[in-house]
Amino acid sequence: MSRLSAVKPAYWIAGVLLAVTVLAPLIVSTYSKAEPRLWGFPFFYWYQLLWVVLSVFTVGIAYKLVMGEERKRRAAQGLGDPDKPAKGAQQ
Amino acid sequence: MNHSVDWVQLIVVVLIFVAVTVMGFMASRWRAAASMDSLDEWGLGGRGFGTFITWFLLGGDLYTAYTFIAVPAAMYATGAVTGFFAVPYTIVVYPLIFVFMARLWSVSHRHGYVTPADFVRGRYGSRWLSLAVALTGILATMPYIALQLVGMQAVFETMGLGGDNLLAKDLPLLIAFAVLAAYTYSSGLRAPAMIAFVKDGLIYLVIGVAIIYLPHALGGWEAIFGAAEKKLTTTNPATGKPVGSFIPGVTGHSAYWTLALGSALALFMYPHSVTAVLSTKSRNVVRRNAAILPAYSLLLGLLALLGFMAIKANVNITGLDGLPNPQLAIPRLFDQEFPSWFAGIAFAAIAVGALVPAAIMSIAAANLFTRNIYKEFLKKEATPAQEAKVSKLASLLVKFGALVFVLGMDKTISLNLQLLGGIWILQTFPAIVVGLFTQWFHKWALLAGWAVAMVYGTIEAYNVVNPATKKHFGGSVTNIPFTDTQVYIGLVAFGLNLVIVIALTLVFRALKVASGVDTTHPSDYTADRGDPGVHDLPELLDEGGPAPAKS
Repeated sequence: MSRLSAVKPAYWIAGVLLAVTVLAPLIVSTYSKAEPRLWGFPFFYWYQLLWVVLSVFTVGIAYKLVMGEERKRRAAQGLGDPDKPAKGAQQ
Repeated sequence: MNHSVDWVQLIVVVLIFVAVTVMGFMASRWRAAASMDSLDEWGLGGRGFGTFITWFLLGGDLYTAYTFIAVPAAMYATGAVTGFFAVPYTIVVYPLIFVFMARLWSVSHRHGYVTPADFVRGRYGSRWLSLAVALTGILATMPYIALQLVGMQAVFETMGLGGDNLLAKDLPLLIAFAVLAAYTYSSGLRAPAMIAFVKDGLIYLVIGVAIIYLPHALGGWEAIFGAAEKKLTTTNPATGKPVGSFIPGVTGHSAYWTLALGSALALFMYPHSVTAVLSTKSRNVVRRNAAILPAYSLLLGLLALLGFMAIKANVNITGLDGLPNPQLAIPRLFDQEFPSWFAGIAFAAIAVGALVPAAIMSIAAANLFTRNIYKEFLKKEATPAQEAKVSKLASLLVKFGALVFVLGMDKTISLNLQLLGGIWILQTFPAIVVGLFTQWFHKWALLAGWAVAMVYGTIEAYNVVNPATKKHFGGSVTNIPFTDTQVYIGLVAFGLNLVIVIALTLVFRALKVASGVDTTHPSDYTADRGDPGVHDLPELLDEGGPAPAKS
């Protein structure tokens, strides 16, 4: 077994989602055109604004996936939930 | 353009400003800690900020008043390549910080690091590398603070403030800054955190109204984009090239994406970004924020389009000095298209928007000075109370320096230095971010790569000559050596930096040159709040702010 195949699927998916969110807005040739327009916006402008919205979902899903794994890891190590510290009040 | 004071605008701005000032001073009692006399309290707000406060704080910190003036100004003057790249930039930055910022949080909380240079010191055991990172941070931050003042100046000028004599002209700025300095001094990071709520509320309101109302008033989006396309594709007689870019052509692609990527890599190297991240209460607050901060990016994207609206509205951008100044495009657009009272709210939003990042930046620069210069080189046995005191004084000094800068020198110098600041700060990325994952890079290799890239970036930026004005520092893109491909200078310098670091690391390792002692442990990078050895950082930003989570 290679070390890569030991990486959990949740991390794989999160990594791919994050990578796509980084790469897609940087490949300018895919969107440097005026058509099709949307509500008077050239494609170049509305497509990038659309990616802002999409990034909320990709990063949000990555967060859920990574947190799920992190919780499992912490439980396995016997560590507490950082959002509900056992001692000391939350402010 | 009339030169008389618009009283309605002025009254609205003054009222909002007074309200914010009161909040700034009251912030010291917000979630108050037992003692404010440490850097964790003064400088990091007690390190107890949750997701919600952090969203406002980071939003207020990263999306500065200057950004809100400069991005549409760039759209107005030269179009997409210099302006709209801010949109992919602020999309790309969040997946990136998602990957590494949580690790910085963890290691900082285990070891009590307040600044990125503290981390470098602990990871590589090199005070000189740490000094390089600290100095770069301070150098890059100072002109950034100065530019916040430039943003405020544009607003004051539009309101008709500013007489013929020097004192009357600069008085509003002096007052605003004196007040800012006073409450940062007394409340630390808690002050900007609290004011950020007001600032962001106002900004969302203003942009929301502008985006719905202005296209309606100006004949629709079709007409706005049409006017922008017409202006930006016109040939500039001085250069024989188009004035700007409406949709980047093939030759503009590389400039566009390298500007976006380079800026995204640099953003969280700025000390004020790190300060805000370290003030959060647990490891994953910053990741959660990576998913919700794009709300601000959407705002910024829409705001950028206001630059095109200013083109359609034919705003007059002649300054009081009689010279055209694109930075006036947005304030003048509001002045021209909105009723006075609402323009007043918009101006207040920009002015208050300048105070939040200016406060955080001065705190962050002060922390760097205190921890990595004062304590490291001048007074090793400084107590936390002494550190807090030095930091407070340093933050005053930093702000005063920025003020002198703006009032005493041509503002193009601030602009040039801020452009350089972005290039410089990116050169600390290998030491900080790569250091979060591996200690393989050799400390002397990192120092050499940093030094060469700093010099190279500075020279390249100097050599960019504006074709129309023939002045140096004419932009932040240059040709890749031996090609015609235009790219962001910062990213080229960064590539050069990495190549040198890798090559020299191989050399030093082969020669068995001693590397520094790493005082961190792999488990430090995943630790979270409540774990053994993880402490709230009492030293980050504020002195009067929220209580430490575990007081």
